[in-house]
Amino acid sequence: MALAVKSWKALGTSVLVLSTRDDRLEATTTAVRQVLEDVDAAYSRFREDSELTRVNANAGRSIQISPLLATAIDAALRAARLTDGAVDPTIGHAIRVAGYDDDFSRITGPHPALPHERGREIDPGERGREIPLRAWHVPGWQAIRLDRRSRTIWLPQGVELDLGSTGKALAADLAATAAMAAAGDGGVLVSLGGDIGTAGASPAGGWRILVAEDSRVKPSGDGDVICVPAGGVATSSTTVRRWSRGGVILHHIIDPQTGLPTTGPFRTVTVVAGTCLDANIASTAAIVRGEAAIDWLTSCRLPARLVENDGTIHYIGPWPDPSSVAA
Amino acid sequence: MVLQGALSHHVLMNSLTPTQRDRGLRRLRRLTFGATAGGLIAVVGVGYAAAASYAGKSSSSGTSQATATTTDTTTSSSASSSTTSSDGLQSAPQAPTTGSSGSGTVTSGGS
Repeated sequence: MALAVKSWKALGTSVLVLSTRDDRLEATTTAVRQVLEDVDAAYSRFREDSELTRVNANAGRSIQISPLLATAIDAALRAARLTDGAVDPTIGHAIRVAGYDDDFSRITGPHPALPHERGREIDPGERGREIPLRAWHVPGWQAIRLDRRSRTIWLPQGVELDLGSTGKALAADLAATAAMAAAGDGGVLVSLGGDIGTAGASPAGGWRILVAEDSRVKPSGDGDVICVPAGGVATSSTTVRRWSRGGVILHHIIDPQTGLPTTGPFRTVTVVAGTCLDANIASTAAIVRGEAAIDWLTSCRLPARLVENDGTIHYIGPWPDPSSVAA
Repeated sequence: MVLQGALSHHVLMNSLTPTQRDRGLRRLRRLTFGATAGGLIAVVGVGYAAAASYAGKSSSSGTSQATATTTDTTTSSSASSSTTSSDGLQSAPQAPTTGSSGSGTVTSGGS
């Protein structure tokens, strides 16, 4: 079955939409664009006019929020609860202090600029100095008060939310659902930077997914290919979104216990689950949990692929045998 | 004293005609049914009034909030039925299988 494909950039990452109905591609992409615009306005950490920025700026006060942001925060709290805090939305200040304080395209480069330096000319000698590494205590998700009925949230002073981990995966699920509703029938896959949500009927044999450490790897590249009939797939990796502080290479997955990027044995984890959100919760938690992730993922009965820092690969649960390649 | 009361009641019962006794029993059944129904209505009414007047706390800190954070976020995108746990991560409806790259392959990786 030929699949209709559309790709573009949004939310600071790549967007890919696949539809089994060529004649519905326009409708599905329009629906996906709308969801992503809504998501960006609701919980972008880098937009001064986003709802999340307003919530973070009003810690200590009860704030009414939109249904979308309430859903996203609820999903993040569920992730924290199910992972015993390994995936915690209150890492906002910690990740900013560690250096991830702007759209990533403005952080990377040989000599990332300090926040106060952006927008003005910097002396090349001054720019070359090392930026010190700092850590910030993560207050913990239990401090958040979310009233689902009245859609109000209250954060203690000093608490800053970051929905980056669960937020993108939730967006993939929501976009796939909206795209499917727009298409009417057939099947839709939405990938947001390698976090994949699906809806409707898959192509014969399932959606083909190349499992890689970096979502920018071409689908024709080497690696394990799996076929997923339904649900979601997510990969978390410490090998991407890296920057330097104090001579230390950092990445974007924060361990809430230290307030710093994780230093565990796994650099990349891929999980298949019922939704992209749940796959992402599991893959992120596995990176944070380190060795304990193997027993935890096994108990969750989720198929997973874990890559150690030295490249050794572990397969957990009903992950397909890579040596038995199907047609 | 108790014996005397029971005896007088027994005597009174024996003085009733079958018709009178049946009528009395019917009345008793009606009264029992009415009292039961009235009680139920009262319980439901009081419960409703209590729920309407006190909506509960929005949340609290610590473990109690963990319980309050429900799993009913509407994020499932799959049209197929999935294995759902009321309090756990949701499995895909079918396990993935091994495939080979080709048309329509999508990369899942870190970003």
